Amino acid sequence: MNVIWNIASTTVGEAIRRRVLLVILLIGVLLLSIIPALGILSARSETSITIGTMFAVMRGTSALIAIVLTIYMLPNEIERRTIYTILSKPVQRWQFLVGKYLGAVLALLLMIFMMTVFMLLLFWVFQHPSIGKLAEIAKQPFMYWMEMSLLAAVGMFFSTFIAPLVNFFMTIGIWLVGTVLNPLYDTLSKNANTQPLMKGIATIVTNILPNFANYDTKNPIINPGQVIQNGALYNWATVGYTAMYVGILLLLSIVVFDRREV
Amino acid sequence: MAAAIETQKLTKTYRSRSLGKVNVVDELDLVVEEGEIFGFLGPNGAGKTTTIKMLLGIIAPTSGEGYVLGREIGDMDVHRVISYLPERPYYYEYMTGMELLKFYGSLFGIKDTAKFQGLLEKVNLAGDATKTISQYSKGMQQRIGLAQSLLNDPKLLFLDEPTGGLDPIAHTEIRDLILQFRNEGRTVFISSHELSEVERICDRVAIINKGVIEQQGKLDDLLRGGRIEIIADGVSKELAESFKGEDVIISHHNDRAIVDMPENSDVNALLDALRSKKASIVSVVPRRRRLEDLFVETVGRADSRGKAKPAGAAVEEDAK
Repeated sequence: MNVIWNIASTTVGEAIRRRVLLVILLIGVLLLSIIPALGILSARSETSITIGTMFAVMRGTSALIAIVLTIYMLPNEIERRTIYTILSKPVQRWQFLVGKYLGAVLALLLMIFMMTVFMLLLFWVFQHPSIGKLAEIAKQPFMYWMEMSLLAAVGMFFSTFIAPLVNFFMTIGIWLVGTVLNPLYDTLSKNANTQPLMKGIATIVTNILPNFANYDTKNPIINPGQVIQNGALYNWATVGYTAMYVGILLLLSIVVFDRREV
Repeated sequence: MAAAIETQKLTKTYRSRSLGKVNVVDELDLVVEEGEIFGFLGPNGAGKTTTIKMLLGIIAPTSGEGYVLGREIGDMDVHRVISYLPERPYYYEYMTGMELLKFYGSLFGIKDTAKFQGLLEKVNLAGDATKTISQYSKGMQQRIGLAQSLLNDPKLLFLDEPTGGLDPIAHTEIRDLILQFRNEGRTVFISSHELSEVERICDRVAIINKGVIEQQGKLDDLLRGGRIEIIADGVSKELAESFKGEDVIISHHNDRAIVDMPENSDVNALLDALRSKKASIVSVVPRRRRLEDLFVETVGRADSRGKAKPAGAAVEEDAK
């Protein structure tokens, strides 16, 4: 466990110094700062739009960070030969892979936390909300962190056998399908009137691809009238869903990476 | 003496789109004795790094057997007593020298700061322990690499091009460290192109070309069978001409003759002949072959033999 933790902490150290990630984070922060600066935090409906926009910026930025962080993780280690120095020590390949993934997840936590603090600070300065409201807003970034942990597992899995550029499009494609199309396919697969072929495709897509739309729970935050029935159960189910998908993807990554010639 | 490394018909085959099945390492039989510095030589793409990766258990052989310190290759326990310094290594640049040793040490469960300090002193980096790797010169990076390779007090070190791209001073420092490793009883396996360096420090060498071992043995044995140069004064041109024969080179100027002949020729007979004609012997100098000559000759011979045959093996890079 120590080995995994040491590889993970080194990965965090590297991630927070990677310029490309810092640039993406900076752009995200700048975009966040522009939203309230536009002066649209005056009316309640505009407040909802502003929070929604801020969440969208945070989600997009986090997704880009998660993808860029993971697609280069293994290829860089191989190209720079750092992997050989590490694997020549008493470190198994699976430990290396899990350590790298854990490091990516922790780096994402750090970066999403920084964006959340910045966002809450802006919101507090412009709106003076109650602590309760701030705590409510802070729940969504946690869901995004889980989402990005899953996305990082997708990127990591592909990086065990696909070149970074192809991996970028594969991972971003899966995220977009899982975010935008998955709910549509889900509806189609459950609709009795759907054509059999379409139903089959919809069933396959919804069963294989992770449903990233699960993590978008901002509606009750921006529309106080809406509530999630049994919110605690939903949250725990989402944690379980994430753990299951991440577990499967890591297992597949380990199997592929174990057979890969490095 | 026990073998630190022993392989029997160790083979690594890759599939290449253009060439099909390619044996990057082909039935390699290698023996490295404990406590020696062993040079593993070969041109680019000969299969050196693939062999090292197999011996380290980083990649699995396609067939054959290999043992490192008496354990089958791939046995994780052996990783506790071996170490590896890759060619042109990259280290996490944000770390200081001390942090780097702490990180690699943590992979062995070593947390002893005094040990890290001792290693930094050993590689002459104690004063630079708090500098980041990005501030280190190439030579310093290579030295910190050697320090990390000593963390587990290894019995066997694999060094891939340890002096590649270094200036002469850094060369000397690294060479001295390697010689020190031998004095400490460690076995050192060096893969290198720096033939003069290998000739200076290695006890035994193997030359690999296109995945096949072409020569293997003690450096002294391999370089024996050189030539002898005899210089004599008071030699007439006719007398000098009389020594001419197959593989004997004569040069004559102002009654001085220089005879360059194979070591296994009848040197005494020639000296007797010179003396009988009242010539005075100035010098008799045995000339050992240089490793570079042996290398070029061996690889050249293997290449010309390969041209006569259909292509069997190909370069590593192509295969990947």
